[in-house]
Amino acid sequence: MKKSFLAGLAALLMPAFGLAGEYNLTVDRVQIDTGDFVKEGIGYNGESPGPVLRFKQGEEVTINVTNNLDEMTSIHWHGLILPYQQDGVPGISFPGIQPGETFTYRFPIQQAGTYWFHSHSGFQEPDGAYGAIVIEPEGREPFRYDREYVVQLTDKHPHSGDRIMRNLKMMPDYYNRQQQTVGEFFSDASEHGFMNTLKDRMAWGGMRMMKADVEDLQGFTALINGKGPDQNWTGIFEPGERIRLRFINSSAMTYFDIRIPGLNMTVVQADGNNVQPVNVDEFRIGVAETYDVIVRPRDEQAYTIFAESMGRSGFARATLAPEEGMEGVVPELREPARLTMADMAGMHGMDHGSMEMAESADMSGMDHSAMESKEQSDMAGMDHSSMAGMDHSGMMMSGNGASDPFYAEGSGIVPVAANGGKFLSYADLRAQNPLYEDREPTREIELKLTGNMERYTWSINGVKYEDADPIRLQYGERVRFKFVNETMMTHPMHLHGMWSILDVGADQWNPIKHTISVQPGTTVYMETEVDEPGQWAFHCHLSYHAAAGMFRKVIVEGGPDSTQAKTDAVAGNGGEA
Amino acid sequence: MNASAFLVAAAAMTMSATVFAAGAHSGGHGGGSGEPGKASEVSRTINVEMHDNYYEPESIEVNPGETVRFVVVNKGNLVHEFNIGTPDMHEAHQEEMMMMVEHGVIQGGTLNHDMMEMDMGDGHSMKHDDPNSVLLEPGKSKEIVWKFSEQGNIEFACNVPGHYQAGMYGDVNFN
Amino acid sequence: MSRVRFMTLGLLSSLLLPTTVTAQEMMEDTTARKQALTTWGVQFEEFEYRYSDDDEELGVWNADIFYGTDELRFRWLTKGEYEIEEQAYDSLENQLVAQTPISKFFDAKAGVRFDTPEGPDRTYAVLGLTGLAPQWFEVDASLYVSDEGDTSAEFDAEYELLLTNHLILSAALDATVAFSEDREIGLGKGLSSTETGLRLSYDLIDRAFSPYVGVVHERKYGDTADLAKAEGGSTEDWFAVVGARIAF
Repeated sequence: MKKSFLAGLAALLMPAFGLAGEYNLTVDRVQIDTGDFVKEGIGYNGESPGPVLRFKQGEEVTINVTNNLDEMTSIHWHGLILPYQQDGVPGISFPGIQPGETFTYRFPIQQAGTYWFHSHSGFQEPDGAYGAIVIEPEGREPFRYDREYVVQLTDKHPHSGDRIMRNLKMMPDYYNRQQQTVGEFFSDASEHGFMNTLKDRMAWGGMRMMKADVEDLQGFTALINGKGPDQNWTGIFEPGERIRLRFINSSAMTYFDIRIPGLNMTVVQADGNNVQPVNVDEFRIGVAETYDVIVRPRDEQAYTIFAESMGRSGFARATLAPEEGMEGVVPELREPARLTMADMAGMHGMDHGSMEMAESADMSGMDHSAMESKEQSDMAGMDHSSMAGMDHSGMMMSGNGASDPFYAEGSGIVPVAANGGKFLSYADLRAQNPLYEDREPTREIELKLTGNMERYTWSINGVKYEDADPIRLQYGERVRFKFVNETMMTHPMHLHGMWSILDVGADQWNPIKHTISVQPGTTVYMETEVDEPGQWAFHCHLSYHAAAGMFRKVIVEGGPDSTQAKTDAVAGNGGEA
Repeated sequence: MNASAFLVAAAAMTMSATVFAAGAHSGGHGGGSGEPGKASEVSRTINVEMHDNYYEPESIEVNPGETVRFVVVNKGNLVHEFNIGTPDMHEAHQEEMMMMVEHGVIQGGTLNHDMMEMDMGDGHSMKHDDPNSVLLEPGKSKEIVWKFSEQGNIEFACNVPGHYQAGMYGDVNFN
Repeated sequence: MSRVRFMTLGLLSSLLLPTTVTAQEMMEDTTARKQALTTWGVQFEEFEYRYSDDDEELGVWNADIFYGTDELRFRWLTKGEYEIEEQAYDSLENQLVAQTPISKFFDAKAGVRFDTPEGPDRTYAVLGLTGLAPQWFEVDASLYVSDEGDTSAEFDAEYELLLTNHLILSAALDATVAFSEDREIGLGKGLSSTETGLRLSYDLIDRAFSPYVGVVHERKYGDTADLAKAEGGSTEDWFAVVGARIAF
């Protein structure tokens, strides 16, 4: 049974004891100044990012959203558990909010933690329509900290979302400025030999795949809390204080590798759910994910929060300092990552014959010992069997030697900490307080993540949303989703309305998330307790992948729609209308 | 002990004997925080609850030189420690605790007792039997009798990796 | 208005079916997301001034304007050579084709082509293949049947060599083969002509505006060359070109 749900229900049944809060948001055209360029965008209450909404667990919130645009809009409360009619996805939860209209959302706050909200209409979210949500728990926080800051990242692009989508459809490499050049050919040739390099290029060219397809969308200025690197958002601290940083990745397309040189970070929460604390030097935040970390700067100095994009085409930068105006050293961007053949392992219909290349023995540098020493020998969550047919012996793997069970073995995009220290892996995440009893899933649903970079088409099981039937789940079942990434890109998969229990092989301690990154060439499992009736969106959270068709509707059938909560929510709205 | 546990333990012995030997333990238990107390000198009992991941209470008041009996109970779902020491001692101890996690001695909510007994060489083990601390599985309870030193910067803390940093510590204030 | 109806429906359904959420979809997704994504684009692969080795000056363009979905795109392919001195079109060709994917990297296309240069006009039916060949060659092959009943084929290939991520050397080859003679428009049977170009471009504004310089070599072969000679024209030309690739 789900404790937080009981709490929410209790709040509903005892309205006299429940808290109630009313909030107003306007959706506006705004100017966004990144320091590099100024563009028109969309924001809330006149700014982008919008305000931080602060709720309390158990509170019954009423949120009036007024659409001041000349187009439809919507707000999705990312990661919140609520009646489906309140989820804010046009065409699935509700019809959307007309220009000039005020729509009132009403739902109980059943959880605590760091979340965010954003428009689910068109490309309004990449255009700036997002904000943060911070929910204070009913009881105490199971951590201690003296201050907290929201650190909300985004990849602000000078082009509008519509234009980006159009350009990607016209030329899929329109925004990729890290492609392999003649110069790289010769530097590789001097390192690995001319023939090896030629064969490597021929193997990739034969597939018509690019090693450099790590980031679809480059040319952005990365912002933290709306500030570009030069505008340097600054959080103030007193030396010795513990600071909780609530990292939210609200980017359209960009993963970030985050570090604060000079500070160790203790990850205490992922996607709003507390995790057993993990000390790390650096972590990667997928699009739409959140991570809360606690840091303790002891010295009277400025510390740089440095967030490099996964493809190293840009960075966000902010500062923690004892006073405004201080600046820490801003590190250089590291070399761009390159995919390896291992990342292609999931490609459907790949011709393995063409990959039997001359020995280049680059693999010998790989170190798997780190995996073996961990207590994860069973690694239930991972399945590398799809790679069995591969012959890695010959390729220029140029992997960095790092390994992570959630990346293909020999992958070129396994992150490593800049200081050589600990880099967070999904495998490190353990629920602090499991929401659900562990039980056998009732069935498994396989979702192949599919696409064609050269056509910029993205789909699930080879079918785009426009042609797809909904995924039907039965209320009360526990479904095991098997994600098989057959593309060469990373996909942050987000199921609305119900939790995604990521299988890291820790059974009841598996972490509970709302967004799960599936790396190229890997298979990842998650389980979902189907405990919310209604219909929900389920999609890749990369804006242009979702729009291109990597999207599904999920229908939860049956169930004691029972839940008084649903009826109440509908009746409440009906009354208001 | 099963075969895999033995392998891990063997690896642990070869890799970490030096680290254990160099640990804070050799510096004497308690160092600046006091010393093990005699039951006969106990002036009062303080009950400490350990939750995931915080203490109740989060600060205590003691008199310089006072001997206190701590009744420590783990009310959480995870293994926790109650350790009296200076911040530096805690920091040093955290490396040892990290080792215990890496070697599977501490696994979320359970302790591998077989592994803790094992001889790590140089007379060291991962027993975690220092008098200034207790390491408890969920639901378990233990007592410590501790005689505080005259003054000092002392905290009680859980050095299971990440717990201290997340805020599982309490202040010892001298009257 | 629609919202009120939606709420009312929600209320009604919760009254009528208090115990279950119905198996049907509660709401049809009629948003744009559920429709095929329609997109468009304009690309001038060539938009240039040519100066030949015998002092001929030409204005030349080769552009592709498309509109449609992943499954069906309509393309307007336009190219022309304008003789600046004589104020006349050496060639002027417009194709309207519909295009659909037939494999992972290739599309089939079909449509009509109108040639309206100085001199006789022709209309053709077009059937072709276009796509990305292994090793990143962009290829395009078309078969034409003219209103005079003559058949010809054209093959294009282009390769881009990235000197840097902004400085790009592109090589293009265009070859025409006629299966029957169309003397009126100077087309002999067999391999009739090739155009080879080498252009060095720099992406100045995104990929929207990329100025280039280059050389182009045009050559006529066999009967086509003979026909050209008889007309007093040249059979081989070298051009220095300056222009820009444009996309929007």
